[in-house]
Amino acid sequence: MGLVEKYKAANQRAIQTLEKYGTTQMEVDGDGSLSYPEPIVRDTADKHSRPKPLNIEEEQSMRVFYENKLREVCSAFYFPNKIQATALIYFKRFYLQWSVMEHHPKNIMLTCVYAACKIEENHVSAEELGKGISQDHQVILNYEMVVYQSLEFDLIVYAPYRSVVGFINDMEEFSGVNDGENQMFKDMQETARVEVDKIMLTDAPHLFPPGQLALAALRSANRMHGVLDFEQYLRSIVMRQNAEHNISQLTESLNAIDACVTKYKFPTEKDMKHINRKLKSCWGHSSHDDKKREKKRHKSHKSSNEVPNEPSVA
Amino acid sequence: MGDGNNTSGRGISANNTSSSGNSEKPEWLQQYNLLGKIGEGTYGLVFLARIKSPTNRGKCIAIKKFKQSKDGDGVSPTAIREIMLLREISHENVVKLVNVHINHADMSLYLAFDYAEYDLYEIIRHHRDKVNHAINQYTVKSLLWQLLNGLNYLHSNWIIHRDLKPSNILVMGEGDEQGVVKIADFGLARIYQAPLKPLSENGVVVTIWYRAPELLLGAKHYTSAVDMWAVGCIFAELLTLKPLFQGAEAKSTPNPFQLDQLDKIFKILGHPTLEKWPTLANLPHWQSDMQHIQAHKYDNAGLHSVVHLSPKSPAFDLLSKMLEYDPRKRITAAQALEHEYFRIEPMPGRNALVPSQPGEKIVNYPTRPVDQNTDFEGTTSIQPSQPVSGNAVAGNMGGAHAGRNGSVNRPMPPPPMQRMPQGMMAYNFPAQAGVGGGMNPGGISMQRNMAAAQAHQQQQLRRKDPGGMTGYPPQQKSRRL
Repeated sequence: MGLVEKYKAANQRAIQTLEKYGTTQMEVDGDGSLSYPEPIVRDTADKHSRPKPLNIEEEQSMRVFYENKLREVCSAFYFPNKIQATALIYFKRFYLQWSVMEHHPKNIMLTCVYAACKIEENHVSAEELGKGISQDHQVILNYEMVVYQSLEFDLIVYAPYRSVVGFINDMEEFSGVNDGENQMFKDMQETARVEVDKIMLTDAPHLFPPGQLALAALRSANRMHGVLDFEQYLRSIVMRQNAEHNISQLTESLNAIDACVTKYKFPTEKDMKHINRKLKSCWGHSSHDDKKREKKRHKSHKSSNEVPNEPSVA
Repeated sequence: MGDGNNTSGRGISANNTSSSGNSEKPEWLQQYNLLGKIGEGTYGLVFLARIKSPTNRGKCIAIKKFKQSKDGDGVSPTAIREIMLLREISHENVVKLVNVHINHADMSLYLAFDYAEYDLYEIIRHHRDKVNHAINQYTVKSLLWQLLNGLNYLHSNWIIHRDLKPSNILVMGEGDEQGVVKIADFGLARIYQAPLKPLSENGVVVTIWYRAPELLLGAKHYTSAVDMWAVGCIFAELLTLKPLFQGAEAKSTPNPFQLDQLDKIFKILGHPTLEKWPTLANLPHWQSDMQHIQAHKYDNAGLHSVVHLSPKSPAFDLLSKMLEYDPRKRITAAQALEHEYFRIEPMPGRNALVPSQPGEKIVNYPTRPVDQNTDFEGTTSIQPSQPVSGNAVAGNMGGAHAGRNGSVNRPMPPPPMQRMPQGMMAYNFPAQAGVGGGMNPGGISMQRNMAAAQAHQQQQLRRKDPGGMTGYPPQQKSRRL
């Protein structure tokens, strides 16, 4: 299943839930299990005030917004970029399985940062993390298992940052510069790092391996610095890699990665306001419905049979 | 494995009934017949269970139950570390994770593995205490070769095991994988490529007898060479049936310095010298505990006489290269596999327990003992443990056995008519994604993430194919149930 189909499937499921139950958000209990909303009875007169679901573009904007937030959180804690990249990949993969209407991206974002610290052996307690950004750390603990499950325990992430360093070393050798002190390469490495930051916010990490992401970043950086003949360098690696890729396949991949960066759009404040308002109504937070739903809502395992349990299969 | 018809099996089931009583049987556990406890460690408990479902009926599974993490900070890092590594790796000589079950009520994790009937600890013990003769050369060599083969796979994927010892090296029983070695217990394993913090911050690793000298001397950074030291110790133990360096552990201190263990090593290998091991001077304990370390002077290495090998034999050459003091000079798993020892007769084979040459005596090893008196919550009654089967206990099968038959299923009483906790959910894993591209930071080989995206289709395919992997348990065992 391609990416778009996955996004669509999650979006469709949330929309169906909304039609059936009048709300989309799933609740996580103290023990980390999930519950679905209970169906609510609506009279037809109510129809016009029915909450409007997000479309897939709006979901995308929501993810983009929180991916940037995730980065801010990691910067605030001075985490190494390895952790930030791991957290970002977790967040992205989580929302291949779920719609933002089902799980609040803020909670998922924080949980992904917490999980990334644990996996990268740089443990930070949930309490410490929560305190640092004035958020309830219990939410993080509640969501932790749900995040691991949604990632199917595929938790080892290789970010392109280290590949950039490896390729720079290799390029120095390729260009006959061996002192490792060459300023041009240092500048290019720094620019490539910034390019990787951009790439990591797009869909490209879902689609291309870290080595290719790093090469795309380096190619962009080289356009700026003009350090070496990149085409020739690519040919040299293709030759070394036992012809697993030919040069045109590799170039095609790098072009596709560049296109992801070009297409990238950060939502405007106005867009976000609109989306947030819609999202609140999907979660039943509109003032009109608040009390009614609080009573209706209760944990149920019956409903879990009606709603697809496994988002990715839907 | 798993129940292909169970559509909600992998779902996130909604549940808010907590399993308060021990008698409640979690839903996922109902697919197994629980036979008893087969292992215990700091991590938790391991149980033996038999699959009930028709597709894999009778197949044995080892279920590892993790203790909850003490600090109350979410899911146990040990459990997560083990799962995430096992999800990445797939090799004939590494244990296979077939399922993960989650108990939401207490956030505990249960890992289900293909069951291996034997381990090196039991095999060595059987030879020492029952058979009274050495393990045959073919078996020693095949076990060692397969252990190195699995380890080479792990090391080439930047994974250090960090807790190799005979009880963690399993051997498959009857079935199409009979006599195949499986490296198990990845609770201390980790990826050592570009760590964010020194590895020493994970605390003390490796059971003391198998602990490499650089660890004993307090190295902050260490490498896959620590595993090779342990392999050397295990090799010697396979030859002599006794632990090579049997030091007494100083348990009181969190300090990794273990004087007695070092002393045992020095006594056999001689004192290390700066000449042979130049970075020795940088190790914290070599400096600070100089007087203790140097209290006895041992300089003639007596390794060959301890292991009864000619100093000129290929076996001795390989062993001494594994027990090289300087970790940078110690032989790697890849190099060891190429060693002359494995090129001379008897050649190593896939079924380590049954030599291919006719006329060789086949030893019937006892299977790992199963404690039928510990229930799934880890509560133990006072009866002593009994091996589940095997020749070793044939003599006393009569009375004791008959009386115990009823207790086999004791941990799982007939289902009472009460609500079953449904917070457990299972993961049947799709065919393991290879480690190629992801593990190759500069490389551009495999599209790892696409592989993840296709995981579900693969899984569907796999469910339809029960595969030829069913390890049929010995007849004796089936009869008992």
